[in-house]
Amino acid sequence: MNPFMKRSDIVKATGATMLGLVVVFPIYYAFSASFFTIGEFSTYPPTLFPSTLSLVNYIRALTESMLARFMVNSLVVSLVGSLLRMIVAILAAFAVAFLKFKGKQLLFFLVLGTMMLPGDALIIENYLTISRLGLVDSYLGIMSVYLLAPVQMFMLRQSFKTIPLTYRESAAIDGCSDFKFLTSIVLPMSRPIVLTLSLHSFVTIWNTYLWPLLVTNNPEMRTVQVGITMLGYADSLDYGPIFAAISLLLLPSIIIFLLMRKKIVEGIASGAIVG
Amino acid sequence: MKKTLSPYLYFVPALVLAYLFSYRPFFKTIANSLSLVNFSGKIIEFVGLENFQSLFTDRNFQTSLVNTFRFALFFIPIDLVFCLVCALLVYRKRRFNALNETLFIMPMAVAMSSAALVFKAIFNPTIGVVNHLFGISIQWFNDPAWAMFTIVFLGVWMAMGLDFLLLVGALRSVPKHIVEAAEIEGAGPVAKFFRIQLPLISPTILFIVSTRLRDSMLLSGPVMVMTSGGPYRSTQTLVYQMYIEGFTAGNYSKGSAISVVVFVLTFLLILLAFRFERKGVFYQ
Repeated sequence: MNPFMKRSDIVKATGATMLGLVVVFPIYYAFSASFFTIGEFSTYPPTLFPSTLSLVNYIRALTESMLARFMVNSLVVSLVGSLLRMIVAILAAFAVAFLKFKGKQLLFFLVLGTMMLPGDALIIENYLTISRLGLVDSYLGIMSVYLLAPVQMFMLRQSFKTIPLTYRESAAIDGCSDFKFLTSIVLPMSRPIVLTLSLHSFVTIWNTYLWPLLVTNNPEMRTVQVGITMLGYADSLDYGPIFAAISLLLLPSIIIFLLMRKKIVEGIASGAIVG
Repeated sequence: MKKTLSPYLYFVPALVLAYLFSYRPFFKTIANSLSLVNFSGKIIEFVGLENFQSLFTDRNFQTSLVNTFRFALFFIPIDLVFCLVCALLVYRKRRFNALNETLFIMPMAVAMSSAALVFKAIFNPTIGVVNHLFGISIQWFNDPAWAMFTIVFLGVWMAMGLDFLLLVGALRSVPKHIVEAAEIEGAGPVAKFFRIQLPLISPTILFIVSTRLRDSMLLSGPVMVMTSGGPYRSTQTLVYQMYIEGFTAGNYSKGSAISVVVFVLTFLLILLAFRFERKGVFYQ
């Protein structure tokens, strides 16, 4: 990196910072507004800085609404959902990468083919399926449509393929079963990609909106992304608790994002985290 | 060697899920779109293309179709130009650029529904800060001409982290010696961009355009949170109408017919995306 900046570099950097501040403004506003009093939401001209740093909106968001319950719901669905999702993807990817059997390519492409069918356009029939199975308002119902991740299966297979086949041969000679080979050799060797994909799965499920909205009628079962839009303050000027709730959600995700920044950037550059 | 599990067993969970939540609903949706369906989702009789005939003559559906493309028409160019400007400003490794890069990708940390609630508040015509900061008085959510732009801005904001990173990556992979040779030959920044960088990053741009076109066809969440399709249906999109027909009106046949239209549109656009991906959106 060149420590001496030319004038054009300074102009560019300043321009970029100004644009960047515009980009992060909505995030700043959410945090700032989480401290506003009711009065500060209706002042004219609108204010950008809270007069106090009182936590009253946060307390109200957590006590007056079911926000805490929504968060627990989201946490359960995202944790269990991403775990199951990884198991399904790992099993299939392992079979494709290491085992020989008839129709392997066909089965592989059948699973990959689901990428062509966007989930949001399937919600009517999927809802009918879930309701016939009696899974409306259940965690399993919410996570059901996210359990298959063809892109992740594909990426795991690519990663598994880098493990030399001789490993499996020698393991087999030592009497190691396929499943044992998967759990004690393949998975430990693939830890980085498995962790990255798990995290990505967690965030994907955590952030979904349309499907959880559809399969939850009981407010107690709502995920946080759905629940936060229905906190019940919408018609008044009492936005404080909503912004406090948004900030409570934003804070951990921004911290994780900043900590993982390098990984995310590299992941995108290598084509690992698209979509 | 003991055979504890047949290789097929490893595939069973993935196949069951693919059948249950992708292929079965896909074919059922096609069947529904060609039939009369009752309230509990049971097919009553086959009606051929009748649902599509009434769909395409339905003003309401035409509005959704036009709105969906109207969204794409504004969303994609604005997203692309904005991300390109950001990328051009920071693609050279200089001091502060890592910080600026982080600012540009921050929206990636925010979920759609939170972002939509914040945008709803800052675009609020009376108490929102956007009108105030720019000294304008646009009735964002009451004016059919402007409501779509709130969705477009939100769309750009949510998409920009990823698209910016893709473009920065592409700009950085342009071989340095070509750019330097052009500079020595006296190419100004404009010529350098249009004659050298733009052609070399075009696979990435085409990839972004085709994937974002596909995303646009599926737009629904921001509409639900911010505008509920209004005012006067000016932000009602295909998937939003499908949702309303299916779940508020209980009209599964019509909802399914809209799904099929969405399938056809996205299918074509996915093919397009794959084509461009194959052509080389690879770095290094």
